[in-house]
Amino acid sequence: MDSHFLMRRIHSLTGVVPVGLFLVYHLYLQLYLHSGAETYNAEVNSFYDSPLAIWTLVIVVYIPLFFHAFLGVRLIFESTVQPSYTYFSHLLYWLQRISGVGVLLFILAHVWNTKFGPWISGTWGTHFEHLSSGFSDPESGIITKTVYLLGVLGAVFHFANGLNTFCMTWGIALTPKSQIRVRIFSILLFFILSASALYALSAIW
Amino acid sequence: MPDTITFKIKRQDSENTKPYWETFVIPHVPNSNVISCLMDIQANPENSKGEKVAPVVWDCNCLEEVCGSCTMVINRKVRQSCSALVDQLEKPITLEPMSKFPVIRDLAVDRSRMFGALKKVQAWVTADGYHDLGPGNREPQSHQEIAYKLSECMTCGCCLEACPQYSLNNNFLGAAAISQTRLFNMHPTAKNIADERLDTLMQEGGIADCGNAQNCVEACPKSIPLTESIAEIGRQVSGKLWSNIFQAK
Repeated sequence: MDSHFLMRRIHSLTGVVPVGLFLVYHLYLQLYLHSGAETYNAEVNSFYDSPLAIWTLVIVVYIPLFFHAFLGVRLIFESTVQPSYTYFSHLLYWLQRISGVGVLLFILAHVWNTKFGPWISGTWGTHFEHLSSGFSDPESGIITKTVYLLGVLGAVFHFANGLNTFCMTWGIALTPKSQIRVRIFSILLFFILSASALYALSAIW
Repeated sequence: MPDTITFKIKRQDSENTKPYWETFVIPHVPNSNVISCLMDIQANPENSKGEKVAPVVWDCNCLEEVCGSCTMVINRKVRQSCSALVDQLEKPITLEPMSKFPVIRDLAVDRSRMFGALKKVQAWVTADGYHDLGPGNREPQSHQEIAYKLSECMTCGCCLEACPQYSLNNNFLGAAAISQTRLFNMHPTAKNIADERLDTLMQEGGIADCGNAQNCVEACPKSIPLTESIAEIGRQVSGKLWSNIFQAK
């Protein structure tokens, strides 16, 4: 066993635990957008009030996320483009890589928009107002909405499809029959998480 | 209308020269395959401009899709040229050497990296010494059914040509060698060194380089369940990873 193998396995693992689980929790939290500004802000701030909030974010989210992203971007340069092999799994293979890069860019913009931006301007705490004013801005609103739509759907796709390949990488789904079952599950998961995310976004659309 | 077939062939005069395309038009013979057409070109090596050129070089042997030596890229997809029936192919027919192996000349490639991969994973039954070891262990019927399918691999290279993770610039062992590891790791005698095979596959170029594109299983002319083999070896290395961490020696 060398570090190359270990890094790839950590890359595969971090995509699901903790980053994938964080995505599910994060999407769940956004459903509070429908409960109005006061409840949403209280929910989000209650997390940040914890003395461990910043450590939780760094250790559970940022380090695994950026490790996963850094190695993932490196992986893309190992791929050979072969357009003549038009198989569904091969399409997913490329969508996984493209969505990975897109989601990384989205996350950087998202963290800037919802964390560092408000910190610098001193408006931290009014998360709902910050998000909804960004979405309803007459000039940049349409861009913000498009970026969020693509970013959120990309993240959900990357997670659902990643879970599918995770099961093959670790030898959880062995036979073609069980691999199809896992694929059906991941497709269902994609639609459920997408529906949840779109419903949450509809509150401030 | 004269009944002819047009072949566009990607040629290369030697290992280090640039490839170029050449067109050949030959009479259509019903029920011919790509190899018989290449033989026709060889008999009269004249390109579509009417120039006499060196005959096209290719590899072939068994002519019944069990040796793998005539593997090439036909109409952008990798397959054996012996079983590529001309009447079923879109015209003009394009022939290219496999892109994942060094070209020797024209359509002939050097696939020794595949043999090297089999040596690395020790894809053989280990039985040391000349003395009588007695009868081998019996293989259960359930194993035989899987093993027979896996043993049909002819090291042709289709899985590697179609694989987006396998290239001339890396040292990935590829689906064929991973599947052979599964075959020998389940063999009652050969499984004695199962751990050594897994060790090899847990290095750079091993199973971690698989990107789950699953082109291999689609491209395999023998319908070997390659993704099942990759998942099974994935399971075996997961177990070994666990014991490397929690039962460290």
